[in-house]
Amino acid sequence: MSIVALEGITQRFGDFVALDNVSLHVQKGDLHAVVGENGAGKTTLMRILYGALSPSSGTVSVRGQQRNYRSSRDAIADRIGMVSQHYAIIPELTCLQNLMLGAEEGAVMNLAACRTRADDLASRMGFSFDWSAKAETLGPAGAQKLEILKLLWRNAEIMILDEPTAMLSPRDADALFESLKKLAQDGATVILVTHRLPEVMDYCQNVTVLRGGKLITHQAVTEVTKPELAELIVGHALTEFPSREVTPTEAVLSVQNFSVIGDRGDEAVKGASFQIGKGELVGLAGVDGNGQRELFHALLGTRGFHGLANLNGEDLAQNSTRDRIEAGVRIIAEDRHDEAIVEDWSLADNAVLGFQRLPSFRAGPGINEAYKAERVQEYITRFNTKCTSAAQPIGSLSGGNQQRFVAARALGESPSLVLAFQPARGLDIDATRAVYQGLREVCERGAGALIVSFDLDELLEFCDRILVINGGLISSPAAKKRAEIGQLMVGAK
Amino acid sequence: MKPLPLAMRIGILGLTCAIIVLIALMTSGANPAEVMTALLTDTFRSPTAFADTLKRFCPYMILGVAVFWALRAGLFNIGVEGQFLMGGMAGTVVALQIGGLGGVILGALAGTLVGALWALPAAWIRAYRGGHEVISTIMLNMIAFQLSNHLVSGPIMDPEAGFPTTKTLPPESMLSGIQIGDVNVNWALGLGIGIVVAFGWWLRRTVAGYELSVTGANSTAGAFAGIDVRRTTFSALMASGAVAGLGGGLQAVAFEGRFFMGFSTGYGFDALGVAILAGSNPLGIIPSAFAYGLLQQGALAVQTLHVPPGIATLILSLLVILFSAFRYAKVRHSNG
Repeated sequence: MSIVALEGITQRFGDFVALDNVSLHVQKGDLHAVVGENGAGKTTLMRILYGALSPSSGTVSVRGQQRNYRSSRDAIADRIGMVSQHYAIIPELTCLQNLMLGAEEGAVMNLAACRTRADDLASRMGFSFDWSAKAETLGPAGAQKLEILKLLWRNAEIMILDEPTAMLSPRDADALFESLKKLAQDGATVILVTHRLPEVMDYCQNVTVLRGGKLITHQAVTEVTKPELAELIVGHALTEFPSREVTPTEAVLSVQNFSVIGDRGDEAVKGASFQIGKGELVGLAGVDGNGQRELFHALLGTRGFHGLANLNGEDLAQNSTRDRIEAGVRIIAEDRHDEAIVEDWSLADNAVLGFQRLPSFRAGPGINEAYKAERVQEYITRFNTKCTSAAQPIGSLSGGNQQRFVAARALGESPSLVLAFQPARGLDIDATRAVYQGLREVCERGAGALIVSFDLDELLEFCDRILVINGGLISSPAAKKRAEIGQLMVGAK
Repeated sequence: MKPLPLAMRIGILGLTCAIIVLIALMTSGANPAEVMTALLTDTFRSPTAFADTLKRFCPYMILGVAVFWALRAGLFNIGVEGQFLMGGMAGTVVALQIGGLGGVILGALAGTLVGALWALPAAWIRAYRGGHEVISTIMLNMIAFQLSNHLVSGPIMDPEAGFPTTKTLPPESMLSGIQIGDVNVNWALGLGIGIVVAFGWWLRRTVAGYELSVTGANSTAGAFAGIDVRRTTFSALMASGAVAGLGGGLQAVAFEGRFFMGFSTGYGFDALGVAILAGSNPLGIIPSAFAYGLLQQGALAVQTLHVPPGIATLILSLLVILFSAFRYAKVRHSNG
């Protein structure tokens, strides 16, 4: 009998049907994968099971009984826990305070007893924690472990993990799955939302595929191969992204002994030296928080640096962000909402953002409106941004469509160097390929590109060369070999 | 629970406001219809009343631009009142010294300069030290208030006057106007409208205006787009102060002809409402400033009906709150 059974679930948001008659059956003690592209409805389905959403129609049954959760509180009481993509950890609190937050045992806490129980849970999982340390000292892997302990603290036996390895190095991800296997052996049930197929193939027993809000298939993992699964997710056959040989003759960007001071006054990037050649798509692999952000910001000019940086022969030390944009630096920012757009403004007004001082966009003291109108159409059509018109506020588009627009904008106006931080964030497989194809095209016309991503597989598939950053040190692996790069990412080599 | 439709929510809010006004009027023992009529129509009762309304309309307009300018950069310039006072005082002193048309022009310029100087500490602290402009401008207001009171009670006081005021500018040393029917329309009004229109054009049609708006809407995205956010912030507050100072200088050389204790009846604070009521379009400052001028004029008339003049402030404040609620709802709506 299934421990979790969702039947005929339909979820509407206004006119939009996010889930259309979807069912999900999960066996007790399983690691069950729910896979699909962004927007397929995976997270929505999980939020329904977790009580955070109540479905327009359909039933939720847990342990054979129909449930009608009115909020996540009900689901938690029913021993269901969820770790969402964005960790709910408060950096200023200690690890122990974070563990207990929202599940304290009464108005007065017996801290000694809490600590004992916390140690107990941690040792059961093979984790170790300094409970009195601030949570901000945790890396992504530590935060993930703490999130899982939070579920155990609340006695969860059905655990929903949404993209748990998105921020982890390959080694930490393997360790995470070992602990999940242990939990499942002890009788817990784990539902894993992911888009990384290797982890489905290696660790899960069953898989449910969603596409466009519909249930595509439900299978035992042993009955399906990885390429078959990929095709089920996308809905059509996938060909391999053609790899190519690039032998750059001259450098677009050349940095030497490049150091960046981080927010805490420490050296976040330590004496890096590397080059990006004309025509080259270079990926920067690494676990989140190893200096990628600081390097990125220093290259685009919102943060200072020490050392040498040269863009097509121009010294960057003296150049503001505006000068760099004029010299052809284009940016796909990490945090779209904060760094790349003004949400309330139209696509047209956002099309100008960053280009407002470029001669091509100028007309007298103002913006060349005719050129702006032409460019915004180009940015919309480039990656098929779905919108009603260029006058629509960009904030009313879905995240994926915003990302398409922002990526198209960064490839416009003849770039010489594209700096992209997780450019595929929120994009489906086809759009991801289109964006990388676009990056390749501007590189073929003489630009260079530096891509920061936490997804090593994405970089291996699309980039010509990989650099690795670990603890602020940049190394250059001899070849695009997954195992070797994985080791460099955690400094194990 | 499903939220009520937007129109209904606004209706309920509006009705609540109307009831508050009604209760306020009833408790003062007046006939609400009579009071409302006086409030709204007193401006048109006589040429003098209309001229008085225009005298308020002008600073409301210019100070409205000052507040709007800062607001668009994401800054609350509460210091408009102090900048207006200092500008008015400087304008008077310079115009008295020089006299004639030259005095008028230099007086207005002196007001502009002093207004900008009065905004300088707040602008610098905000842009380069991160201190909040609301705090610093409130403090600067207090200094401006005390300093101008002190100067006008001593160093620059007209020794022959019985209360704290400077000498009065002779008519030939003041900005004149044109006679339309019974009403003298001062050139300062034309200048005020010109400032609103020019500012609107600058904000919407120039790259500098675009960069100011980006800074106000999302300064991080602005920095990523190559905008010098600090400099934009600094110059926005300086410009705001300069415009407010110009408003003070003009008020002196065009309408008051002197500086005295009580030179401002709180124009700078009302201007916050003027700018908010104007909405997203700078041209909205013109009707919004006129509404403020009209109701403040009506406030004088209702005193004869034994209703405190504060009723106008009450209505204006409710209008601003109602309008903010409406705008907020609209923004949320477009995101949902």
